Amino acid sequence: MELYEVDLMVNNRAVSARIKAETTLLDFLRENNFIEVKRGCSKGDCGACTVIIDGRPVPSCMTLALQCPGKKIYTVKSLGSWDKLHPLQQAFVDHEAVQCGFCTPGMLMTAKAFLSDQPHPSREEIREAISGNLCRCTGYQKIVDAIESVGKGGEYE
Amino acid sequence: MKNFKYFRPKNLDELLAIKNELKEEARLLAGGSNLLVYIKEGSLKSGTLVDIGSLAALKGIREKDGYLEIGAAETIIDIMASPVVSEKLPFLRESLRVFANPLIRNISTVAGNIAEGSPIADTAPLLLVLNSEVVAASITGRRNIPIDDFFISLGKTEIKANEVIITIRIPIPETGRGKFVKLGLRKGTSCSVVSVAVWLIANGRGVEDIRIALGGVAPLPLRAVKTEALFRGKILNEHNIGELALEVTNEITPITDVRGGAAYRSEVSAALLSKAVRECLGMEE
Ligand SMILES: Cc1cc2nc3c(=O)[nH]c(=O)nc-3n(C[C@H](O)[C@H](O)[C@H](O)COP(=O)(O)OP(=O)(O)OC[C@H]3O[C@@H](n4cnc5c(N)ncnc54)[C@H](O)[C@@H]3O)c2cc1C
Ligand code: FES
Ligand code: FES
Repeated sequence: MELYEVDLMVNNRAVSARIKAETTLLDFLRENNFIEVKRGCSKGDCGACTVIIDGRPVPSCMTLALQCPGKKIYTVKSLGSWDKLHPLQQAFVDHEAVQCGFCTPGMLMTAKAFLSDQPHPSREEIREAISGNLCRCTGYQKIVDAIESVGKGGEYE
Repeated sequence: MKNFKYFRPKNLDELLAIKNELKEEARLLAGGSNLLVYIKEGSLKSGTLVDIGSLAALKGIREKDGYLEIGAAETIIDIMASPVVSEKLPFLRESLRVFANPLIRNISTVAGNIAEGSPIADTAPLLLVLNSEVVAASITGRRNIPIDDFFISLGKTEIKANEVIITIRIPIPETGRGKFVKLGLRKGTSCSVVSVAVWLIANGRGVEDIRIALGGVAPLPLRAVKTEALFRGKILNEHNIGELALEVTNEITPITDVRGGAAYRSEVSAALLSKAVRECLGMEE
């Protein structure tokens, strides 16, 4: 079986590996310790594995690692740290938008990319934007509240 | 045991050459939202994954000679965001809002959507009512395939083993209004059970011309030409729209599967068609 050398930029860090042709970006990331990227359905349905590639949220389980050289990939860990949470992360905490937390890394990436495009969305637009990210716990209300609060704050970059 | 190779052609010549050499064994990978599912399920076990996702020759959305030309590797999201599409064919942008979900729209392409001859590909009814053309290329040249000739049978299209889709061409309509409605299992974010596209040219409520296409109700995406003929020339009102729409059930051959029964699909088809026509006429929003 043929293996391929691949160099990817993840959270502004170069990561290299030898992989199979069909290795998904999700597998690549998890095998290289980016375990903040979650594996849910593995078939594009749930959004748990969402990362931002060149400014857009995409399901990393539906992308091959080999499609990504030269692209800028960001996981949820690019947002903030324990000491300094990103405004979106803080809003998710403040609005209790996290229960089990499994959907949260993907949800945050979708929200981040969305707010960068559209800083002051309506609730309806937020619901539409996160419709590819499933959450089994919260009922979405609080997630929409959290994203809306950041949009309203206007401090978003 | 899976056994895949990966190849990223640098230009169209390289793409056409490898397609000509490997034929079906060259699996074009655009967004991958279908292909990766097959690889994971194991229904696809080998082949060379030919990555066309960032091939410049297959990019670009432009107006040319009265046509909207969409490169085969353009994503649904880029089509929706295109100023040319918004200006010349807002119907397309509006219709794509119910395609899959926002994450999948960021990677999916129209060419990848229709290439497999799936009866539930959401862009198929759109391309059908818009009288589109699919431009195919191989090492021996190019040809334009009218969308009416494109779908041959379940899972089979007019694209030959050594060909690739390079462009989708849509004549920019001078008059008329379109509407696309679909019923999925979940709102907006899943594949269609039934979908209906309508392009209506009306004078007040009089039907000058109408094109109707459906997905999910026959082995192929279908133009409902008989129902179109019944609509043509009629003055539409609250009553006859529903009656005329019901005629479409004589023209379709829905199946029963996990997403719904045949009788249910028939009923839904008529209801969606009626809704689409009413929305074209502004009777319902
Ligand atoms: C969660 C989820 C939701 C979905 N929802 C919908 C939906 O609502 N409606 C819908 O219609 N579909 C839906 N799909 C299916 C899929 O996203 C679409 O069919 C999509 O348009 C496929 O495009 P792609 O670029 O990802 O195709 P790929 O997976 O890259 O390719 C699909 C097929 O087309 C071939 N191909 C690609 N490009 C070309 C070309 N230029 N020339 C010749 N052959 C080519 C490939 O070889 C392959 O066989 C969904 C999928 C998922 C995972
Ligand atoms: S794990 Fe990727 S979408 Fe569910
Ligand atoms: S918090 Fe549990 S899935 Fe969203």
